[in-house]
Amino acid sequence: MAALLEADDVVKHFPVKRSLGEIATGRHPAVHAVDGISFAIESGESVGLLGESGCGKTTTGRLLLRLAVPTAGTIRFDGQDIGTLAGDDLATFRRRAQLVFQNPFEALNPRFTVLRAIAEPLVNAGVPRADHQARVVEAMRRVNLADVDQHLDKYPHQMSGGQLQRVVLARALVLEPIFLVADEPVSMLDVSVRAGILNLMRDVRQAMGLTAVYISHDLALVRYVCDRTLVMYLGKVVEDGPTEEVIRLPQHPYTQALVKAVPVPHVDQSHEPLPIKGNVPDAKNPPSGCRFRDRCPHAMARCASEEPPLREVAPRRRVACHLLAA
Amino acid sequence: MALLSIRDLRVHYRTPRGVTRAVDGASFEVPEGQIVGLVGESGCGKTTAARAITGVMPANARFAGGSIAYRGEDLLTAPDRRVKELRWRDIAFIPQSAMNSLDPVYRVGAQLREVLIERGGMDRARATTRAAELFDMVGLDQGRLDDYPHQFSGGMRQRAAIALALALNPSLVIADEPVTALDVIVQRQVLDTIKSLQRRFNLSVILVTHDISVVAYVADQVVVMYAGHVIEQGPARAVLAEPNHPYTMGLYNAFPDLTSAVSSLVPIEGSPPDLSQELTGCRFAPRCPFVIEPCRSGAIPDQGNDGRSAACLRAAEAVELRRLARVPSTWLHS
Repeated sequence: MAALLEADDVVKHFPVKRSLGEIATGRHPAVHAVDGISFAIESGESVGLLGESGCGKTTTGRLLLRLAVPTAGTIRFDGQDIGTLAGDDLATFRRRAQLVFQNPFEALNPRFTVLRAIAEPLVNAGVPRADHQARVVEAMRRVNLADVDQHLDKYPHQMSGGQLQRVVLARALVLEPIFLVADEPVSMLDVSVRAGILNLMRDVRQAMGLTAVYISHDLALVRYVCDRTLVMYLGKVVEDGPTEEVIRLPQHPYTQALVKAVPVPHVDQSHEPLPIKGNVPDAKNPPSGCRFRDRCPHAMARCASEEPPLREVAPRRRVACHLLAA
Repeated sequence: MALLSIRDLRVHYRTPRGVTRAVDGASFEVPEGQIVGLVGESGCGKTTAARAITGVMPANARFAGGSIAYRGEDLLTAPDRRVKELRWRDIAFIPQSAMNSLDPVYRVGAQLREVLIERGGMDRARATTRAAELFDMVGLDQGRLDDYPHQFSGGMRQRAAIALALALNPSLVIADEPVTALDVIVQRQVLDTIKSLQRRFNLSVILVTHDISVVAYVADQVVVMYAGHVIEQGPARAVLAEPNHPYTMGLYNAFPDLTSAVSSLVPIEGSPPDLSQELTGCRFAPRCPFVIEPCRSGAIPDQGNDGRSAACLRAAEAVELRRLARVPSTWLHS
């Protein structure tokens, strides 16, 4: 199948305030949020972008939707470089690629009714007003907001968190996109409600044949909605593979620590220390070579001098670690 | 005797829409030297119950009944002066966001010393030594004592908040979602620190959390709250392995588990009741798949033995209900 989305050596640096010394010496310090990542997403795939705060996963999601522009590298969507899109082509892209927001309590305007909130993208896309109600009702049906008539005129404060997240999802679906980025779509919801939203997102994606990227810090959740997972660490993709394999047999030392750290709801579980040291380094001055080396229990001399490329270690399985070099 | 014993606690909030009964008759105990996981979802009253113990409450909160006995002394009827004395020295608090307990414009070490001098009556030299000792204890580098809070990472700030809480050797520590804002790796490390300090000083800890896996990892006892009530409690091992209340069973199904086979997560349909309304019967009844007519009216007595209890009329049938609860279709309302 053809790739719907291709990221080629994408870099995003955010400049930070320069000190006098840095101005004098002509240096430009920057946070290396995303530092050279490449991957392709096939049409119909659901991919998890997994990592801790500051790893660059949210920035990557924004780049994929052209809500941010890469410092270097290109992102192609359906064969077109999205960095060069303008005018009608850009408008078309904006219709086809949508974002599902993280916090349903903040993503909706408190003064808009449900009808108006979900219709807003239709207004922006120039869909004739006469079609709005029908399209909104259709989107609400997709997200199982039963009793549509009862909800259309409600305001956000009259709804529960789970219902609000359904509205947020309906708003993302109303333009019938083919690509969805969901940034931590359930992290603000209670456990008993979360499950319903995840199941819904999985069903909707399958029913509409969507391609989706889920951004999350939670491997246990990614597992329910993503066929494939990319693990990010400090602006780099360190591991890529089918989600179940990544969980069962993590290959990169960072993924191994991450999988071990995920809490499980059983009393009988390992209390052994994690195979990881220290804290995430400063993204302004990432370590030379492998970025994980100063926390890695297996670091060797080579890890400091040479950056391990993300290479294929098995079909559909890529890992960036010198330990796995043949 | 339990270090802390809460009986029929009622805490109400005055709001523009009427009185919200956030905690509506909750009873549980904290045994000496144990970690009690107080678990439930947003709005269940867990934070209110925990905060009530510290006595630090928003202005619109009112104690509407019950007692909180610390070593046999009721904190709700004790004079303010006495409660203030106990606070920090005996009963300490770790907030969810460490930024709430750290002042951004003072160095972290200075804030620790201030507590030691002002509340602990130490002199400067003694306080300086003790501050260094505390940093060591919670796994922070002593060289960072002169840093400001913003120079710390999230995990380090949470460790600093733990150091502040433990500064005066309290017996009881109340931690409100202490690791919720942290990444999994840091979360695990901070939990390990809490657990090891708890063992070392034989602390009693109330760990407020929405996350049953956190309870599973560190707690000895678990207290499950729903809509202002305690609906199930007992030893963590027993309650988590064999829940007796349908809500606890449902919470388990809805919880993602990396170690089990992937199947659909099973949500609990509906949402908790509005606590500003008069409620009768079991508060979980509208969402419960095992509801029977008597559940909808009257009081639901706690049933149980061996230090366990569940507020469920069908607790005696728990074995059968657990079997049914594992079948996803049980939870689908028509």
